Amino acid sequence: MSLEVLTYPFIFIAVFFEVFLLVTFLSEPATERRKQQLSPKTPPVAVIVPCWNEEKTIQGTVESLLALDYPKEKLSIVLVDDGSTDNTAAVMDEYQGHPQIQVIHKENGGKHTAVNLGIERSPQAEFVGCLDADSFVEPDALREIIGYFDDPKVGAVTAAMSVHEPKRWIEKMQHADYIHGITMRHVISSLNGLYVTPGPFSFYRRDIILEVGGFQKGHSTEDLEMALRLQRAGYLIENAPRARVYTKTPITVPSLIKQRTRWTTGFLRNVVYDYWDMVGNPKFGTLGIIMLPLGLLANVSGILMFFVIIVQFVLNLIHGLIISRGLPLSYLLTPHLQNFTWFYIPLTAVLLFSLITIIMGVTIMLLGKRISKTPGNLVIGIIAYLTIYGFIAPFWLMRSVYDLATGTKRAWR
Amino acid sequence: MSILTRNIIISLVITVVLIGTVVYAINYLNQQRVAQLNTIEDQLSTDTLSVETQYALLENAPCSDFTNGSSTEDTLLSQEVSSLGDKLSYTESKLGSTDPQVLQLKDQYTLLEIRDYLLTEQLSKTCNLKPTIVLYFYSNNTGSCNTECDQASADLQYLRQTYPSIRVYSFDYNLDLAALKTLETVEKVRPTFPAFVINNKQYYGYTSLSDFEKDFPPSLFATSTTASTTAITAKK
Repeated sequence: MSLEVLTYPFIFIAVFFEVFLLVTFLSEPATERRKQQLSPKTPPVAVIVPCWNEEKTIQGTVESLLALDYPKEKLSIVLVDDGSTDNTAAVMDEYQGHPQIQVIHKENGGKHTAVNLGIERSPQAEFVGCLDADSFVEPDALREIIGYFDDPKVGAVTAAMSVHEPKRWIEKMQHADYIHGITMRHVISSLNGLYVTPGPFSFYRRDIILEVGGFQKGHSTEDLEMALRLQRAGYLIENAPRARVYTKTPITVPSLIKQRTRWTTGFLRNVVYDYWDMVGNPKFGTLGIIMLPLGLLANVSGILMFFVIIVQFVLNLIHGLIISRGLPLSYLLTPHLQNFTWFYIPLTAVLLFSLITIIMGVTIMLLGKRISKTPGNLVIGIIAYLTIYGFIAPFWLMRSVYDLATGTKRAWR
Repeated sequence: MSILTRNIIISLVITVVLIGTVVYAINYLNQQRVAQLNTIEDQLSTDTLSVETQYALLENAPCSDFTNGSSTEDTLLSQEVSSLGDKLSYTESKLGSTDPQVLQLKDQYTLLEIRDYLLTEQLSKTCNLKPTIVLYFYSNNTGSCNTECDQASADLQYLRQTYPSIRVYSFDYNLDLAALKTLETVEKVRPTFPAFVINNKQYYGYTSLSDFEKDFPPSLFATSTTASTTAITAKK
C-alpha cells in the first residue's frame, strides 16, 4: 500500500473545511455582516494594554489608540505594566496625567492578572478591550467593533488582524496566514464558532467578563480560554472584519515556532483538559461539531502529512541514488527534454487535491484582504506561505503534542 | 434545517463532486494514455510491415540501396519503438502491472519488439552490419528482481543514449505470449533476473555499470558517441 493512501482522509477533511468556509462565506449570516455599517453609538469603553517588556512598541500602540475615531470622553486607556524589567515603565510614565490614560504598575503576575486589574480599574466602561503592546489599530477600528454589541447575547467581538509593516519573508508569510485568518474568523463567527478572542483588540462586555469570573491563565493562552468559557456560558463571539489591527510577529523561524507552540499547546491543553465536553457536542453548534474536532485533527494531519512527505522523499531519493549509481554526473544532470509531453504529466489524486486546496486557500486569502481592506501586496507572502509554511508548522505541532503528552511547560518568550 | 446543517450538507456534496471530478480526470488521462499507446502501436505495426515489405522487395538488390534509402526511416522506427517502450513503462507504473489494458499493450509491444529485432538481425546478416543488440529480460514478480532490474534499466537507458549503435529490446519474462516464450527458448534464457542476451551471448545478474560494460564488445566504446550516429553504424 502506498504511503499516500494514509493522507486521503485528511485531504478530504481539508477540502471539506475550505469548501465549508467558502459556502458559509456566501451564506446569509456572513453576507449580512459584511453589509454592516459603522455604528453611531459611542458607549463608554476602556482599552487595556497589558505590557511586559515592550519598551520599543508601547509608544506606537498608545499613539494609535489615541488616534481612534471615538469621543475622547468615552474612551479610556489603561496601561498596565506587568513588572517589566526593561524601560517599559519609564515610557509608560510619560503618559501619566494624560486625561484619557491610566498608568498602573504591578508586580509580574502574568498577562491575565494585568488584564483583570485593568478591567477592575475601569468601572465606568460598558465594554473593555485588550490590545497587546506590540499592536496598532486603524482609527475606525473601534467604531467598526461597537456595532456588533447591539445583540445583548454578544459577549465578545474580535478584530481583523494582520502583520504590522511586513518586510521580511517570514513576516510576509505570517501576513498571508493572518489574512487567511481574517476570512476564517469572519465566516466562522457568522455561525458562532470562534474559540479564540486574540490579544490584539478583542472587546468584551464588561459585566459578562465579570460574570464568568475574569481572565484566567488558561495554559498561557488566556484569550483562547476566555473565548471557550464565553461559548460554554452561552454567549456569542462576533467578528468585525473591517476593524483592522496590525501586530508585530516573530522574525526568526525559532521564535515563530516558539510562539506557535505556545498557541497550539494552549489550544490542546484547554480543549483536552478543561473543555473536552464541548468537542463533538451539537449543543455548541459550529464550535462543537466543526471547529474543535477539526482543530484537533489538524494537529494529527499536519504531523502525519509531514512524515509521509519526508519518508516518501527519502525513499525516492535512496531509490534514485541506487539506480543511478555509477552513471556519469554529466548524464544525470542533463535534462532529457524529449520526455516532456502531456503523456508524462504526473497527475495523482494527492497532487490534484493539493492544487484544489491551494486554489481555495489563496481565494480565502484574497477574500480576507478584500473584506478587511487590508493594504499591501500579498504575492510574496502567499508564495512563502505555500512553499515554506507547511515545512515549519509540523515542528510546532510536534512540539505541542510532545508538551501535551509530557506536561512540559515552556517560557512565554 | 439550521444554516449550519445546510452548509455542512452542501459542503459535503461539493467535496464529493470534487473528489469525483478528480477521480474522473485521472481516469480520463489514463485512458487517453492507453488510447495514444494503441494509436502508436497501430502506426508502428504498419511501419514495421512497411519496412519488412520494403526489405522483401529489395532482397535481391544491393544492400547499399536498402541501407542508403531506408536507414533514416529504420532508425526512426527503432526510436519510436523505444519511445513507445518508455511510455508503456510509465503507463504500467500508473495503472499497475496486472491491469488488463497494460497487459494487452505489453503483448502488442512485445510482438513489435520481436519483429523489429528479427528485422535488424536479418538486415545485419544480409548487409554485414554489426549493431550491438541487447535483449533484456526482467520480471515484475515480487522478490525476483527488484533494485537490480531498476539499475539495469537505468544503465541500459544511459548506454542507449550514449552509444546510439546499441539496440535494446526489453521483455517481461513472465508475459504470457507464445512468441516471447519461443524467443526465450531460442535464445536459451533462464529465469534468473536481470537476464541479458548481448550479441547472442547470455549474461545474468547485475552488480555495477563498470562490470556491466565488460559484457559489451570493446569496439562499442571506441566508436563515436555523437547522438546523430545511426542505429546501424557498420555498412558493407
